[in-house]
Amino acid sequence: MSDDDTVNVIKPPDTLSAKVSKGGPGAVDLAAIERAESVIASMADSYLDWVEEDLVKISKAQAELKANRDNAAALLDKVFQVAHDMKGQGGSFGYDLMTILGNDLCRFIEGKETVSDVDLEVIDLYIGTMQIVISKRMSGDGGAEGNKVLTGLAAVVAKITGKG
Amino acid sequence: MTDFDISRMNVLIVEDNLHFRTLIRTILQTLGVESVEEARDGSEAFEVLSSFDADLAIIDWKMDGLNGLECVRRIRNDEDSPNRFLPIIMVTGYTEESLARDARDIGVNDFLGKPISAKSLMSRIIAVLEDKRDFIDAPNYFGPDRRRSQQEYMGEERRKK
Repeated sequence: MSDDDTVNVIKPPDTLSAKVSKGGPGAVDLAAIERAESVIASMADSYLDWVEEDLVKISKAQAELKANRDNAAALLDKVFQVAHDMKGQGGSFGYDLMTILGNDLCRFIEGKETVSDVDLEVIDLYIGTMQIVISKRMSGDGGAEGNKVLTGLAAVVAKITGKG
Repeated sequence: MTDFDISRMNVLIVEDNLHFRTLIRTILQTLGVESVEEARDGSEAFEVLSSFDADLAIIDWKMDGLNGLECVRRIRNDEDSPNRFLPIIMVTGYTEESLARDARDIGVNDFLGKPISAKSLMSRIIAVLEDKRDFIDAPNYFGPDRRRSQQEYMGEERRKK
């Protein structure tokens, strides 16, 4: 950064012009994007292995949280991290419900430093619902069943948190 | 979408989650990028950058170890930074405006929201390629000009070329 309080405007070195061109056989066109999306779709089996690992991880973190509520902040963060990863990955592989559930769980945990019985129950519900989504291979929006699962979860969470 | 050939770009992925690294690498390679390096956190990114002449860094926000914000801060400001002008795309699952502001304030060029797709990643790479902004070297900031247009800036003009 500048040593004094002067503000300098600098033209950054243009290193990319020599390396990146427009058009030509290697250019990324719509077909190339579609090919890449197909390759991602073909990784769905790998995703299912990864998400199974994440489900084990988040269940373990939740079990630790239940057993050690004095250390709630750190353990909630552990649950949050896994939920956050699940949120980020689901949609990339066509499991949009996992992104929705991961996001909602993150929002529920966010800012909490302590944990109540109700909080633990809600976290259990989210984890259980994510397990159902994966075990039933509910990809995309899950159709009518997916909608039912999300609506049901929201109703139960509202009821036990007293916000229904 | 402009058709760029990005095959000769050197790209660094900084991400603590192996699955995300695999996903981003797969997309880049399918889009033709031949030279991709990986780092698991900000500290490792610095090590990789010392021997890898990256043209673009794709950095995750939230990582164990040295996180994304701190990594960008070091790249932009450290005296021993291998390339203070390195174009940086920050990947984040967060969408809050305040977090985006934090990242802009430490010199990120652009953002990529999770979940990512080939289309969203390529659109951010194109945005960086077409980003012709000057860099600002100020007492509390080093990075791309945060003013999107002159019209938006109403303050006193203190900058000198």
